[in-house]
Amino acid sequence: MRRTARLLAGTALAVAVAGTLAAPAYAGGTATPAGRGHGAPAGSLRVHPSSTVPGTHVTVNTSACGDAGPADGDATAVGAGRFALAPSRREREAVGQFRVPSSAQPGTYEIVATCAESGRRVTGDLVVALSSGSSQVPPRGSVKTGIGGALGPDPVQTAAGVAALAVAAAGGTWLLHRRARGDGI
Amino acid sequence: MCRRFRRAGSPVNAVIAAVTVCALGSGLWLLRDGAGRNAPPQPSAAQAHTGVDDHSGGRAAAPALPPSPPDRVRIPAIEVNAPLTGLGLTRNGGLDVPPADRKNLAGWYEAGVTPGETGTAIIAGHVDNTEGPAVFYSLGALRKGSTIEVDRRDGGAAVFTVDAVEVYDAKDFPDAKVYGTATRPELRVITCGGGYSRTTGYQGNVVVYAHLTGRR
Repeated sequence: MRRTARLLAGTALAVAVAGTLAAPAYAGGTATPAGRGHGAPAGSLRVHPSSTVPGTHVTVNTSACGDAGPADGDATAVGAGRFALAPSRREREAVGQFRVPSSAQPGTYEIVATCAESGRRVTGDLVVALSSGSSQVPPRGSVKTGIGGALGPDPVQTAAGVAALAVAAAGGTWLLHRRARGDGI
Repeated sequence: MCRRFRRAGSPVNAVIAAVTVCALGSGLWLLRDGAGRNAPPQPSAAQAHTGVDDHSGGRAAAPALPPSPPDRVRIPAIEVNAPLTGLGLTRNGGLDVPPADRKNLAGWYEAGVTPGETGTAIIAGHVDNTEGPAVFYSLGALRKGSTIEVDRRDGGAAVFTVDAVEVYDAKDFPDAKVYGTATRPELRVITCGGGYSRTTGYQGNVVVYAHLTGRR
């Protein structure tokens, strides 16, 4: 009885440890793809390009305002004034643009958006540099975008071929037997 | 294809013999044809830059769009409709690639210009992964004049027209031509191609050259 209890306690402990270890790993795993091409984690303001030079346009977007909520943007920190974020056709996001004035000084500026309906406030950083410098380094060389997985035989077709050959073998064997017995073809 | 053996013996024998011959023929055909059938299409010489008309591409260039990151790439001619992830550089300075396990995911070079802006925007995706064909499997079948649409985060779409489709050996990759700066909005779409060897994999890349011709 005591042994069973100890066993149960040990199992429970193992499960608990596995759970705590697995939970953050799982969260990290799902957060990474979501942060990229499709919708930032709700609650942040995405600024693109996040690093720019005076005189250029900047696009910001957020999914914090829900399905179709517009938002008020505030780029006064960098001298670009206020701007509107309109619901995007796609992505269920609010999107807005502003122009960094030519007179903007280098530095990091906070861009703010406030959801029109919920009043929720999200922020993102914009870095302004004097010149784009070496930020636009083109890639070089070829790209490793394939490993040959499409080149193997089609498994369905191969299976069909093998099955057909098996039928042929069976038929051939049967005919040879008949012939050996003198039944003739 | 299969003729019945009507000559001698019982009808059963004739049927069995006919079935045997049919099965043998189709089995061999299936196995032989299935082995090397799935190589991705490669561009013909006719799709390469001609040198004369390189920069008109048949259609006038559209004015550049303000920067806005791309979300999707659509190439109706080869039934591509894929989300885009951001790509950086590898340690060697080469273009990184999207995770191979998501076969319908393509990527764009985040440190470059966004598609629609003046300059050369770069999109890359896998031709295949361990399971089979991937997002840009048919890229080599694209032809001059085809349309590539890139959905942008500002809610619009940049529409590009294909100028050329070329294939390069990795050892002889023309960096300046593919990645070099441009004075109008251009796009490159890259995947693996060229020959394939079991030891080194694909030997090069298929590169699609396109320029901005409209917006939606």
